Amino acid sequence: MANPIWDYFFKKPSAAKESILQKLKDVPIFSDLNEKELLEVEKIVHRRKYQKGEPVFRMGDPGLGMYIIIEGNVDIVEESADEGQKQLANLQEGAFFGDLALLDEAPRSASAIAKTDCDIIGFFRPDLLDLLYRKPQIGIKILFALAQVVGERLRKTNDALSELQRKCGEKKNE
Amino acid sequence: MSSSSLSSSWSVTRTIWTIFLIITGVAFLILIYPYIKMTVIMLVISWIISIVLNPAVDYLESIGAKRSLAIFLVMLSILLILVGIVALMLPAVMRAIDAISAKMQSDFLKDVTVQMEQIFEKNFNNAGLARDLINKLVEIGGNLLGNMGSLLKNASSFVAFLGIIPFVTFFLIKDRRKIYHNMIAQIPNKYFEMTLNVLYKVGDQVTKYIQGQALDALIVGLLSALGLLIINLVFNHPIPYFFFIGLIAGIANLIPYLGPVVGAIPAIVMTILNAPPNVGTVILWIVVVFVLVQVIDNNIVSPLVVSKSVNMHPITVVIAVIIGGNIGGVVGMLVAVPVWGIIKVTVKEVYWGLQHYKLR
Repeated sequence: MANPIWDYFFKKPSAAKESILQKLKDVPIFSDLNEKELLEVEKIVHRRKYQKGEPVFRMGDPGLGMYIIIEGNVDIVEESADEGQKQLANLQEGAFFGDLALLDEAPRSASAIAKTDCDIIGFFRPDLLDLLYRKPQIGIKILFALAQVVGERLRKTNDALSELQRKCGEKKNE
Repeated sequence: MSSSSLSSSWSVTRTIWTIFLIITGVAFLILIYPYIKMTVIMLVISWIISIVLNPAVDYLESIGAKRSLAIFLVMLSILLILVGIVALMLPAVMRAIDAISAKMQSDFLKDVTVQMEQIFEKNFNNAGLARDLINKLVEIGGNLLGNMGSLLKNASSFVAFLGIIPFVTFFLIKDRRKIYHNMIAQIPNKYFEMTLNVLYKVGDQVTKYIQGQALDALIVGLLSALGLLIINLVFNHPIPYFFFIGLIAGIANLIPYLGPVVGAIPAIVMTILNAPPNVGTVILWIVVVFVLVQVIDNNIVSPLVVSKSVNMHPITVVIAVIIGGNIGGVVGMLVAVPVWGIIKVTVKEVYWGLQHYKLR
């Protein structure tokens, strides 16, 4: 006969959990984690379902954390009183967004709105800080990977800026 | 009828139902409160203990222990310390109670009153003050003994109460995140990020406040015991069970303003019962020790260890303690200020959330 206390302490991950783990593994900031470490992350993420047209977060809201799309489509849009909504990107299954909010509470630079019905995972800054304290080896791996993602983006921004400056220089010389 | 007017009438109906359900829920809680009072107090105590023990559990987890094992080790250590203290103190406390009863029945009180009157007459020219003081102390002592009697009458429920608290505390520490996740999962998407952010901030401030208060109580307890030890060394041991009295002072210190006075009473009573030759001087030194401990606590310890985020006006504190005392007796008084602090921080952070999030 099943013993609830025994089951409580020694239960195994379900198939649904396995699929979440695979999705997490595909996200760059979790790519260095092994299965046991991913299980720790899985315990602290929040799984949410959004209907088509429902905002995940709005531009100007205080940043709290990042989201990973398990199923569905999300539009990243810039909102202004004069011009309404301007689409910046359309993110598909497996994509992640809002990752800079893992570093500070600065206001969101754009809104994220579900384009279709979505299944999304949220990973938030206070949970990352808690993980850093409880499981420093996992927290450091995530932070290092996050720094690499931010560094890569900074390099791309620098390249784009250099390219723009070069083009401006050429235009001036003409 | 247009779809917008349909949706607005649906929204009004939903609001009315929400208000109706909230009022019904609150009325139901008030109705069943007398039956769930002990359970609520037990949950609040377990939750506060879980917050106090959590840093030690997190530390053990950070050096590689499994969470369940870490909780077990921390709780076992606390249990062993408590059992040790009780084992050391219980015979002494029983002896003290016997001594108090014996002395109450003898002419001891009359002798002490005469002696105190002489001291007060000589030093302050006011013998009546000594009589009033002794009468007040006897009254407080009588009340305390009466409370002990009623506590022993309900001994079985008290033991069950004590037995359940560690059990509930274990699961509150272990499943803190799971309980939290399950609660958050019920929040509509519209309020999800705001609720989460507000809960994190409230949780963080309340945790720091409660941990700070616990550390403050421990330091005040140790300082009081040290002060009483010094008096014992200087005046040839006039205060029995000084360590136990120090611990009581530390716990009593959790009740603002009233705590330090409550903490000093056992030391004074024990000294009077022990009747050393220089009883007046010893009592004066006990008062000096407790005042000194308060000065150190208010100016050095408290500003360093207790979070400033739950700063409260003295009047608010007194009102909270009175209400807490009416609801839950001594335990109610002890948890009144933290509970009021939680309400204050929650209101502040919810207001912050409503101002900063675009709720659509």
